[in-house]
Amino acid sequence: MQDNITKILKAISDPTRRELFHALVIAATALPITQVSAQFNITRQGITKHLKTLENAGLITITTSGRERFCKAEAQPLQEVKNWLHFYEKFWDTKLDQLGDFLDQKE
Amino acid sequence: MKDIISKEQLFNHPIQKVWDAITHQEQISTWFIPATFKAEKGFQYTFNASGGDCSPIRGEVLEATPYTLIYSWIVTENPMKTIVKWVLEEVDGGTKLYLEHSGISNYHGETAIDMFLSFNAGWDSCLAGLTNYLKNIVHAG
Repeated sequence: MQDNITKILKAISDPTRRELFHALVIAATALPITQVSAQFNITRQGITKHLKTLENAGLITITTSGRERFCKAEAQPLQEVKNWLHFYEKFWDTKLDQLGDFLDQKE
Repeated sequence: MKDIISKEQLFNHPIQKVWDAITHQEQISTWFIPATFKAEKGFQYTFNASGGDCSPIRGEVLEATPYTLIYSWIVTENPMKTIVKWVLEEVDGGTKLYLEHSGISNYHGETAIDMFLSFNAGWDSCLAGLTNYLKNIVHAG
């Protein structure tokens, strides 16, 4: 499966890739790679490498149209990570509240 | 986004009291989940979530020295291991608890997806049941 958690987390563990991905999410549309790389202060090669990693994780798709290559964010794989985080965020909030109540009652 | 959940909470209680609450079997069983637990490195513990089709949580105590407690966390029906870490620190007027739950990135592809699906299906109701259970205990007491 392409969208495995490890790949996703690895892909978003790098600050530049997070920014790249974020920029594409905000754009909410396919952007030419030239336009994306213009926003970042790194080489075109560097950008291409980062985009490849994001593509492998299923976080973006890259398509070619004419002489230009376009990339677009695919947020769906993040949902998996989000589900896990969301569940346990709630779980621990509830539990720590209960711990607080327990301690308050136990004198 | 990261794969670590971390929480910080202050309690207006002495550090030993908070430590006891997270390491003593009877106390864990009261506020957290009914437990078979010993704060000894290597101990294989079980948390039995109450209610219908809730799967127990089990794991191994990896560290238990005041005031750091670390154990692995495995939801039985999915052999997925994550790590829960509790660290207590004495602060002015009480105790600061730092909780960390990490490790989802150790899991891959379909297993991870299965796990998420099972969380969605079963766990929410387990927690609801547990909360009610605890409320009843409090009201009965």
